Order: sequence, then C-alpha cells, then structure tokens
Amino acid sequence: MSKLLMAEIETLIAPLSDVSGFYDLVKEPLSEVRQSLVADTTHGHPWPLLPLMVSDTICGRWEHALPASAGLELLKAAAEVFDDIEDADSDESLSTKYGNPFAINAACALLILAERAFTRLKSRGVDCDIVVSLIDMVNSYYTTTCTGQHLDLSLTPEEAASEDVYIRVIGMKSASAVECACYTGALLAGANQELIKSFTIFGYNKGMASQIANDIKGITSMSDIKKPKITLPAIYALAQTDSETHNLLEMVFCKRNIGFIYAPSQIRDLLFSTGAIQYATIKMELYKQLATDTLIGLEQVGMKVAQLQQFLE
Amino acid sequence: MKSQALQELVRKIFSDEEIRAQFIANPDSVLSKFSLTEDEKKAVLKTHARSGLMTSDSVQLEATIEPYAWWF
Repeated sequence: MSKLLMAEIETLIAPLSDVSGFYDLVKEPLSEVRQSLVADTTHGHPWPLLPLMVSDTICGRWEHALPASAGLELLKAAAEVFDDIEDADSDESLSTKYGNPFAINAACALLILAERAFTRLKSRGVDCDIVVSLIDMVNSYYTTTCTGQHLDLSLTPEEAASEDVYIRVIGMKSASAVECACYTGALLAGANQELIKSFTIFGYNKGMASQIANDIKGITSMSDIKKPKITLPAIYALAQTDSETHNLLEMVFCKRNIGFIYAPSQIRDLLFSTGAIQYATIKMELYKQLATDTLIGLEQVGMKVAQLQQFLE
Repeated sequence: MKSQALQELVRKIFSDEEIRAQFIANPDSVLSKFSLTEDEKKAVLKTHARSGLMTSDSVQLEATIEPYAWWF
C-alpha cells in the first residue's frame, strides 16, 4: 500500500519538475510523509493509509482509493506548512528556511494538487457522482478543521483553560481529519450510511486519542511549557490544584507575565506530581477504548478489522 | 466528555497518601468510591496496569504515547 501511495503522490507532483526550485519546495513537506510511509512499521501505520485499509476492510479492494489517500496526504502536508507559518516555532519549516511568500505558495500548490488527486478517482473507475460527493464531504470536514484551528489561535488563555472547550477544539482541528480519512475509505467501498457512521466514529476516537497523546508529549518534551500552550494536562492542573500551585500555573499558562522566569522542568514535574499527566493519559486510553469498541461492533457485523486494530496497538 | 468524578479520583490519588496506597494495593476498592462510568473504570485500570502512577522519569509513558503522538 505504502509504495503505491508514494507512486500516486509522485505522479501528482511530477508536472512541477519543469521548475526545479518549485518542485523541490513542494516536495519538501511531503518528504516526512514518505519517510513515515516507508517506515510504517516503526510506530504503527500512518493515517494516509486509513482510506485504503477501511476500503479493504469493507469490500476487499483498496487500489481504487489510492488517489483519495494521496489527496488527503497532500491536504495534510499543506496544513502543516500553514501551521508552521502560524506557529513560527520550527527551524525546519519551509517558512523559516525560505520565507513566508515561498511557503504560502507551496502550501497553495499542495491544496490544488489535492483537488486534482480526488479527480483522478475517475480513472480508477469511481463513479463521477461519488467523486463529487466525496470532494464536497472532504471540503466540509476540512472547513471544520480550519474552524478548529481558528478557535485554537483565537481563544484567550481563560477561554482555553476549559476541558469542554479543549475537547471541542481538538475534535474539530485534529480528529475531524482522521474521521474524514475513514469516511473516504468507507464511501469508496460502497458502504451504507450506518457502516460509514461506524467507521467515522472509529476515526474520530482514534484522532482524539492521538491528539491527546501529542499534547502529553508537548509537556514531557516541555515544548508546550516553553510556548506556553494550554492543553489537557494544564487544564486539569489549573482546575484541581490548591492556591500556591494554581497561582504558579496561572502565571505560566494564563497570565504569561513578561519577566516571570520559571524553569520548564519544574512545571513539567509539577504536572506529573499533581496527576495531570495521569489524567490526560487516562483520557487518551478512554478514546482508544471507544475506538476499540467500535471495531468490536464492526467485527460483529462481519467486518474483518484486523488491519484497523493495528492502528490501536 | 468531561468527568468530574474522574478528575476527583485522580486528584485524591495524587494528593492523599492513604488513598494512593490503597489504590496501588487494590485499585478496585478505590474506584468503587467514585461514580465513574464503566469505560472510565476500564481506562483507569488499563492505564495503571501499563504505566502505574506516572512520574517525570516514567519510561513506560513514552512507550504508551509514542505510537499515538506522532500523527499530529
């Protein structure tokens, strides 16, 4: 699957090779993808493979879904370039290395190539009505993703320090993209609405578990403490600690006082000792369990879900 | 999916030595005192079985989150 997906992506970006600088620029955010596809047994499977695996699970065929997987991968790469421009916190990003104008143009090219990828479904024998319906649904999911990203960027620290808000935002900006990948695979496999719904629930819960894990890593690596960024561990600790600890966390995460100096490792240790990391890990496990339960339900209606179970190991 | 009971349970385990010792010795006996859903109970027990009560030098935590964290 990985090799054929990489070949599909190569076919899509090949026309850019007339202008070598541009081709290389567009290819760069995709190189990480290619690495993850090549090494897809190290950490489990990358999510661009989800449409293929979902389709295979439902109808035993997946090659026809390759352009859709490539399209989602191109959208993901575009989103990462835009995200790096917004966050301005990565030395390896296109925007840092080549400047915002080049990065924005490359990200726009990735978006357009993604649209082209979906139209290539026709050449794989997918009915035009299904192609149009799929493009419409993918655009709907990614509108949700952008809305979630907008909320993430615009919330005040006080607004962000709420678990309900956090769950809503990560559901929109992260889990919706994984949900979309599952929807894509199910639609292209010819699944009925009930089955599509079950696969999207699996995708949503897997996406939520992954984003919470990413946010836990943001604390253990201290990157979200240095920024600082309010995520689930900080939300828990702000709500559950006494005045002295609470005030310290509030200074770091909410008030962000200029001149207030703190050791990130001290804050990280505090988030462990208050149980904030334990709590976030339990929440991650909870979503993982919900995804597992969905697969059990699918197995009971005759789906062979072994491939998808690998996403939860 | 915010859960007051789950927050309360974790807060007690990490702030009350007696509850913590009881949880380590017999997690179910502590869980029964909180109105957790069945899914929450399972998640608490699975997390504890895999990683115990986590500290900043917990090696097991990295192994737990790494397969998930790299997607985003």
